[in-house]
Amino acid sequence: MSEENMSEQESGFWGSEDTAETAARLSRSISGSILKELPQGLSEPQLKRLKKELLASLEKEMVLESRRVIRLFLEEEERLQKHTEKKRRIKELLDESVERLSLNQRLQHMILFTCTIVLIITGLPIKFHEAPAAEFVIHLLGGPNITRILHRIGAVGLTLVGLYHLWYCMAFEEGRTNFGLLLPTLRDAKNFLHQIGYFLGLKEDRPLFDRFSYIEKFDYWAVYWGMVVMITSGYILWFMEKAINQFGKVAYDIAREAHSDEGLLATLAIIIWHFYNVHFNPKKFPGSLTWWHGRIPLEEFREEHPLDYERWLETQDQAEVDPIWPGQEPDGSADGSVALSKNAGPKGGRTS
Amino acid sequence: MTRSRAHSVAWKAGLALWGVIGFLSSVPARAQDDIRCLTCHGKPGFEKILPSGKRLELFVDPMRLRLSIHKERKCVDCHADVTEVPHPSIPEKVNCGRCHFLGNEVGAPQLERYAEYKNSAHGKALAEGNPKAPVCQDCHGDHFILPGSDSRSQVSHRNIPQTCGECHLEIYAQYQESVHGQALAKGVKDAPVCTDCHGEHNILKPQDKTSTVNPGTIVNTCSRCHAKVVIMEKYGVKAEQVATYRESFHGIANEFGMLKAANCASCHTAHQIFPEQDPRSSVNSRNIPYTCGKCHPGANANFAKGRIHLNPKDKSAGIVYWIALGFKILTLSTLIGLLIHILLDLYRRVKNRKQAPRHDEAEVVEKSQ
Repeated sequence: MSEENMSEQESGFWGSEDTAETAARLSRSISGSILKELPQGLSEPQLKRLKKELLASLEKEMVLESRRVIRLFLEEEERLQKHTEKKRRIKELLDESVERLSLNQRLQHMILFTCTIVLIITGLPIKFHEAPAAEFVIHLLGGPNITRILHRIGAVGLTLVGLYHLWYCMAFEEGRTNFGLLLPTLRDAKNFLHQIGYFLGLKEDRPLFDRFSYIEKFDYWAVYWGMVVMITSGYILWFMEKAINQFGKVAYDIAREAHSDEGLLATLAIIIWHFYNVHFNPKKFPGSLTWWHGRIPLEEFREEHPLDYERWLETQDQAEVDPIWPGQEPDGSADGSVALSKNAGPKGGRTS
Repeated sequence: MTRSRAHSVAWKAGLALWGVIGFLSSVPARAQDDIRCLTCHGKPGFEKILPSGKRLELFVDPMRLRLSIHKERKCVDCHADVTEVPHPSIPEKVNCGRCHFLGNEVGAPQLERYAEYKNSAHGKALAEGNPKAPVCQDCHGDHFILPGSDSRSQVSHRNIPQTCGECHLEIYAQYQESVHGQALAKGVKDAPVCTDCHGEHNILKPQDKTSTVNPGTIVNTCSRCHAKVVIMEKYGVKAEQVATYRESFHGIANEFGMLKAANCASCHTAHQIFPEQDPRSSVNSRNIPYTCGKCHPGANANFAKGRIHLNPKDKSAGIVYWIALGFKILTLSTLIGLLIHILLDLYRRVKNRKQAPRHDEAEVVEKSQ
């Protein structure tokens, strides 16, 4: 009988929609086994009627059973889906990251650094033309004619992203807010002194930074200075005939000197300062990926930008109440991880 | 006394006899042929009127011949095809290559130059059959050949421009007027003559990449003198002009093989080089718009406002010097500040790690669970 049950279940499970063939096959095998078990001596019509009744009841049962199985299957599917969804959300919360840079900001940064890298690679060999590496790079890129063109492409890109940024700072709500937060304040000077004190061991704790620390503000405004110097002098060099005709060769000489010197200063500042802060710093090594996905780990967020973190927490409390913390739902499958996040994550601590 | 006097006379007589014997035995043997030749060719005014009406001078000054470097040679050593007198046909032009080739055994100097000539612009022209192409004699002379170190030589430093000017007349005139030509005329030994820039036997066309006056090599050629402080300071010319050129965009582009960029001669010209103050100079402020305009169309008088050979490290550069200095200070102070900040940050991190290793470990354990 167990075999029959299985075949019934299977047929109900898999063949519920085209039952005709399956039913015929089933009825044949059932009638065969019944005939074996039935007492001998029943007349032909009796036998026929009995078979008919039995078949009818079995068919009914089969349909009911197949429906039940389908329902069970769908329920299980749903449960699994819910489970993975929950796991994903838990993982997200375990990663504990929040968006720090919007897509717009990230794209601006990517275009900026792509152009800057092109400009540095094609520009530095001109400043250090005596170095063997300079000639190597120039010829690797296809000769001075090509690098000149590449440098100009980079220059146009840099100019456009610079102009767009100015527009972004004025026209976008996000731009205006962030620009406001980037303006240097007296607090930055205090924070700077506090930080130095902390480095030297005079203070026990780090200064509390807002969305942008004085380090990031320095980076931001250094780019302003660099862009103004490089773009102005760069276009004088590019359109040197017009510039000299207008202002005399001395204008060209000034532009040349400034372009060359500021180019080196910017390169060194990026390599030493910016790369230290986002790549080589022991805590960030081999590099933060915030520039790519825009997210910052919650822990880092809380530590490095505590004031902004507080602000973010307030908005989060208003926004949502998380339903899947343990205790609120009796599913133990993700217990370990959830428990950890509850302990480690400040958010979990607050909601439970 | 008398005895000693007699002895002295006998000694002198013996010496004279030895001398005469020596003369008779050696010199005439060499001179015999020459004497035969000089019977006609030693007469001043010996000449022939060619069918074309051109006068061909056939006189050979025996005195000059005797002073030349070939004084040991017989006429027929060079004029090898002359076997009969009078000559049945006009003798061929002398081929110096009979002796002057690398590996010769007759005592001519063993020099690479003979081969260099063949590859030179002159040698190639000759090979192509150009009748005007100069051969050895055209520069070195025929019967009065002297080493270049001899001031009477046609190829001495002093005489080179004139020798080249035999054919390159226009350029010779330009050169004579130029600062280099004027200096040479005054007897300045450092003054460059044609061969100092163009080479001697290996003269190549400027279009040839290996030529010393090719755009790719001219800077090195000029800097052989103009980069040398010892030479330049004698004449009040700045030796740093070469360095400032090399630092300029022109110089850097030239260095990287972009030969359309200006080189020394693009602005200063090749042969009509004058001091900046000279109104004939291509780099005189009046001529700057024209000179710069050759490559920078539309250049106006403002191109002369400001130095061309500018050294930003020198105070004479004016505002550019101060800007360079300002950036130097800015760069150094910024980077020192940033580095100190970085080092302090690292210092504190290391200190934190040392002070509280337990905290770190606890964190790691917690995370691994």
